[in-house]
Amino acid sequence: MQSLPTSPRPPGSVGVSPADGSARHAGGTPTLPGGMTPARPGPFTFSTACSLGAGIVMLLGIWFGSRGLRDFDSALVWYAGASVFSGMGIAYRYSMWLQRPPTRLYWRRGWQFFLNPARLAWNSGRLAGLFWDNFVLQRFIERRAPLRWGAHWLISWGCLLAAAVTFPLSFGWLRFETAPDSQEIYYCYLSGIRVLAFPTDSFVALVLFHVLDIAAVMVLAGISLSLVRRALDRGALSVQQFANDLFPLVLLFAVSITGLMLTVSSHVLHGTHHGFLSQFHAITVIMTLMYLPFGKFFHVFQRPAQLGVRFYKDAGAAGEPARCIRCGEEFGSRLHVEDLKLVQAQLGIHYEMPDGTHYQDVCPPCRRKNLALIQDGMWRAASLASEERTHG
Amino acid sequence: MELNFFVDYHRCIGCQACVQACQECDTHRGVSMIHLETIRRADSVQTAPQVCMHCADPICARVCPADAIKKTPDGVVQSSLKPRCIGCTNCVIACPFGVPRYTVEVDQMMKCDMCYDRTSIGKKPMCATVCPSGALSYTTLDDFRRDRRGTPVNEWVFGGETVRTRVFVVVPPPTEQMLIQLTTAAGGGAGPDTPADRDDVASLLEGR
Amino acid sequence: MAKLPAQIPELVDAFGPHAHYVPAGGWSSVGDPDRVVKTHCCFCGQQCGIQLKVKDNRVVGFEPWEEFPFNRGKLCPKGVKRYMQDEHPDRLKSPLERRAGQGFVPISWEAALERTVREIRRIQQEHGNDAFAILSGASLTNEKAYLMGKFARVALRTANVDYNGRLCMVSAAAAAKKTLGIDRAANPWSDICKAKVVLVAGANVGECAPITTDYLWQARENGARLIVLDPRMTPVARTADLFIPVRSGGDIGVFHGMLHVMIQRGWIDREFIAKHTVGWEQLEEVVRKYTPEYAAKIAGVPPSLIVKAAELWGPAPTSFVLHARGIEHHSKGVENCIAAIHLALATGRIGREGCGYAMITGQGNGQGGREQGQKSDQLPGARDIENPEHRKIMASVWGVPEESIPHKGLSTVPLVEAIHEGKIKGLLSLCFNPTVSLPDGNYVREAFERLEFYTCIDFFMSETARYADLVFPGALLEEDEGTTTNVAGRVIHHKQVVAPPPDARHDWRIICDLAARLGAAEKFPYQTPRDIFEEIRVATRGAVADYSGITWERIDREMGVCWPCPSEDHPGTPRLYEDLRFGHPDGKARFLPVEWRPAAEEPDEEYPIVLTTGRVVSHFLSGTQTRRIGALLDQYPEPRCEIHPRLAEKLGVQEGDFVKVESRRGAVTVRALVVRTIRPDTVFVPYHWPHDRSANNCTIRAIDPISNIPEYKICAVRVSKTTAPDDPLSRLSSEAGGVH
Repeated sequence: MQSLPTSPRPPGSVGVSPADGSARHAGGTPTLPGGMTPARPGPFTFSTACSLGAGIVMLLGIWFGSRGLRDFDSALVWYAGASVFSGMGIAYRYSMWLQRPPTRLYWRRGWQFFLNPARLAWNSGRLAGLFWDNFVLQRFIERRAPLRWGAHWLISWGCLLAAAVTFPLSFGWLRFETAPDSQEIYYCYLSGIRVLAFPTDSFVALVLFHVLDIAAVMVLAGISLSLVRRALDRGALSVQQFANDLFPLVLLFAVSITGLMLTVSSHVLHGTHHGFLSQFHAITVIMTLMYLPFGKFFHVFQRPAQLGVRFYKDAGAAGEPARCIRCGEEFGSRLHVEDLKLVQAQLGIHYEMPDGTHYQDVCPPCRRKNLALIQDGMWRAASLASEERTHG
Repeated sequence: MELNFFVDYHRCIGCQACVQACQECDTHRGVSMIHLETIRRADSVQTAPQVCMHCADPICARVCPADAIKKTPDGVVQSSLKPRCIGCTNCVIACPFGVPRYTVEVDQMMKCDMCYDRTSIGKKPMCATVCPSGALSYTTLDDFRRDRRGTPVNEWVFGGETVRTRVFVVVPPPTEQMLIQLTTAAGGGAGPDTPADRDDVASLLEGR
Repeated sequence: MAKLPAQIPELVDAFGPHAHYVPAGGWSSVGDPDRVVKTHCCFCGQQCGIQLKVKDNRVVGFEPWEEFPFNRGKLCPKGVKRYMQDEHPDRLKSPLERRAGQGFVPISWEAALERTVREIRRIQQEHGNDAFAILSGASLTNEKAYLMGKFARVALRTANVDYNGRLCMVSAAAAAKKTLGIDRAANPWSDICKAKVVLVAGANVGECAPITTDYLWQARENGARLIVLDPRMTPVARTADLFIPVRSGGDIGVFHGMLHVMIQRGWIDREFIAKHTVGWEQLEEVVRKYTPEYAAKIAGVPPSLIVKAAELWGPAPTSFVLHARGIEHHSKGVENCIAAIHLALATGRIGREGCGYAMITGQGNGQGGREQGQKSDQLPGARDIENPEHRKIMASVWGVPEESIPHKGLSTVPLVEAIHEGKIKGLLSLCFNPTVSLPDGNYVREAFERLEFYTCIDFFMSETARYADLVFPGALLEEDEGTTTNVAGRVIHHKQVVAPPPDARHDWRIICDLAARLGAAEKFPYQTPRDIFEEIRVATRGAVADYSGITWERIDREMGVCWPCPSEDHPGTPRLYEDLRFGHPDGKARFLPVEWRPAAEEPDEEYPIVLTTGRVVSHFLSGTQTRRIGALLDQYPEPRCEIHPRLAEKLGVQEGDFVKVESRRGAVTVRALVVRTIRPDTVFVPYHWPHDRSANNCTIRAIDPISNIPEYKICAVRVSKTTAPDDPLSRLSSEAGGVH
């Protein structure tokens, strides 16, 4: 698949070419029609600033969260560093993405409708519902295909679970220590504040110390399901590409399997190859972190926009409907059609018809019928003309 | 030889073989992506299929806020990427040909991908293989020019917007560009020559 | 007595029709099929090539077969979805016996066969051999069609065997035989593409033979002009160069009117006529009075259209006549077809490339099905049952005394009338759903209630099978092997794709089992359908429809072989009459001085509107198969009455209103489809549905005196707006005959 301008070419994306025209719209704003150059910094400057800002915020977060690095585990410095770079990359790409006219519009509108004071309470309730359905359960994927859903749910929750532990650990926010008075009790500190105490032989301890193993098993199970689907489904086989669809699975597999092998090494093989394995694991994790802003995983950050769209649609449905100028039937909301005209103007799409109408005001079925009528009419006219030639 | 897709709305007999066959395409088996319009049944039996025209610079992708619509190196615009599509329907209402479909249950846009499971390995798309009238066909430009009188055109003008497509429409020569204006009548204009009169058997019987 | 053993809704509940939406194995695209089998569609006479995908002995999908020359991968929606009848939940899987008040209960094959034979013997002993009849089908393979004829004449020795091709193209068959001497399309379809003018008469090509649309367009790309005759503006008529909205049954007006103009303007090939034909003078005499004005009155169209048709047709260098049920389904069906064929003969445009004539055969094996001797008046090879020479040949092939072969029996409509009158007491039917497909439905259902014993072989419980005492579960076409002969006389090979369900049997096996129990085992020793085909080759040697040089290997290698093919080194005969020798003994074609005459029932004051019936693209014949395939049903779920807005306004009917279409014989209640694409004096209702949705409740039991085809295309009705019906039958689902 082509990589659109806001997504730099992912590693190994052989044979991928940018769309002929989309490069024109890089960043979305530079080519506004009618000399409407925005009085804002260029997209690259803005995104660079966002990226630097994110880096600074993260470094400050690490500094303060680890109480001036007192709780920072220097063994994890590579992880923390990679996370900061990854965060900067994500901020850069996200801000580039947000500057595309359609994205910017939805972003603005989504927040505008969500924060509408009159509806904020209702919206918050709806948000909770959407969050539960779309994020926790991921029901929309289930409706696409149960196998795909199983794979996605296991991988996504495995990763989130692992992230919930590893990021605080590597940032020095989270610290485990045995109680000063007993080897049997563990304390868990968050930014120096003790939040949990539990015996070492308790169930809580078992779960806490093996949470990464649990996550790894979930991810591996998800990867297996995913590979089964990708190996057997003729549809998936025809559209999947290594760089976009398989490489991320390879990364996650490497992270999970090396992580599990570390556990095996510690608990079963008495530390055999532990040093090598932990370096290998670190490399896989760092690669994954570096890949986050560029590849398929970036959808984790884009996807919540779906929630904004819901609020936008709610607002559209509550307002005036758009009516087709050809058939008079409703199609979508007036809000959406008018907003889309703005976006099109920014993108340089000119649907203004010579007779003063706007093609965007024609509903999709009428567009299809209209094309057919015009082409059919051309043939009928041609046949009449040839008949007149034949018969004088 | 490069194979090309040709649409000739005029020939459509409305049999829906394309609709039924589309459902058999492996990338979306069980769901049909092609549109088949009955233009105005009360006045005419005219029908017309609509496949994705696969624009060189797809407007659907340009208006997509989620970067979800991609074109393959061979010029086929794919269904939205499942991980990215946020179901906003910008593409559905912006596409000049009225092609993308939004499916509520899966909250995703899906569309004709020219049977990518087939065309990517040199087979013909389902709809163009089965179409019994030649309204949809998939062949080389040379073969097309040998067999057909019509001119294949792939440049469309929608007001101020010019769109080039991978799929051709078949029109009488010497047309080079499809100028799209709004019409409810065959021939593109108002006036007495509306399909209502043209295909009215009663007027034919009156010798009109 | 074979009355329905339970209420219809109960029978529908148990046996369908139920629309089924999911293919075997689900809508999955996981995994590869075990095999992909090249075979043919089971539906219409085009017999398109198709590949079926098989996984675990189930048909799970299809793939176009682009190498097959006739359709080159093209299919209509029925062809695309035909694979979904496999693994259908309504599929009959064991023999069933009627239990009054309860419906049907499974019984063993042994008991079912035994009882059938016992009843046959009883009826034939008590009432004579002819009191037991066979009704067969034109969707059967050549092998099964041959077997049904032989079973009737050799095992049952009944004269009364006929088939549902009688409802389809027998008028065309008789007309071709009378004029050209051979009952077959005279040309391969590829000749259509070379013609400079094509006349399509009474054929809704776009819906009933969709693949032929492509041939019409190929011709037009080569510069051909297209003339279409139809009371409705069909999809193909819409784009035609000349559409003549002829009044149903007025076709002779157009044909004779054209001929009249052509004679006047000198567009007649007098040299050809003198050398190769007989009867021109008498015809010329008849046609003299068919001036455009006179002809136009008969045809119900402006004279200018007839003149224009003559102008397009007359001077063209090459031409092709295509016709179908629209001109054939009349009590003058044969005459209509003869008048159409005259147009080819009078211009001498036949027997060469781009010049010819073809009937568009409707049923799957419409061509082969009528050649193999299951017609009441024919023996295999399209031989005449009253010709002593022909009888002698068949007697020797079958190893029976000539005099034991019954003579001509009743054709379908008189046969059902004989059932109604109690003359025929017992019936075995296969591949036939007459309670939906025969005219005057109420009368037909009454007849079936009067049968003393009725055995039905089918793979679904058709509306007619409900009247049976015993139902044998037969096999789908894709579960068996055999040949059919397509619209252009090309013999093709249907492969066995999957095995039938364990307790269902191949139709031919059931017939052989019955024959054996009737004491004719040695005459029916077949172990495979191929054994039967080999006998057909012997039986047709030297006949008109000569299959003797055709082998299954040749069919596979050559993608079909056209008969006549008298030896294995003969290439087959795609185009007849190339030497301009016609099928009559003197080698000359015949002009016949046919005259237009009115239909059996013309509209009058009481019933002022013409009803014409026909098909829609997504259904096939009585709908037993297509109403069960959800995707096809959804395309056209219920019959609608097409009515012109002018007539609708007069009747106070609006789009979507319920209307009652009522003839002297019965009525249907359906929704109105108000459209300008039909003549204002005519309404149209498609006939694929049963009960109160069966257009054949209204149609008339009048038949053509020569071909015995029923007059489906014209009867007199009145139409009135009515309220939504609310009775148990109307509450059934659409596929079962309900309205919503």
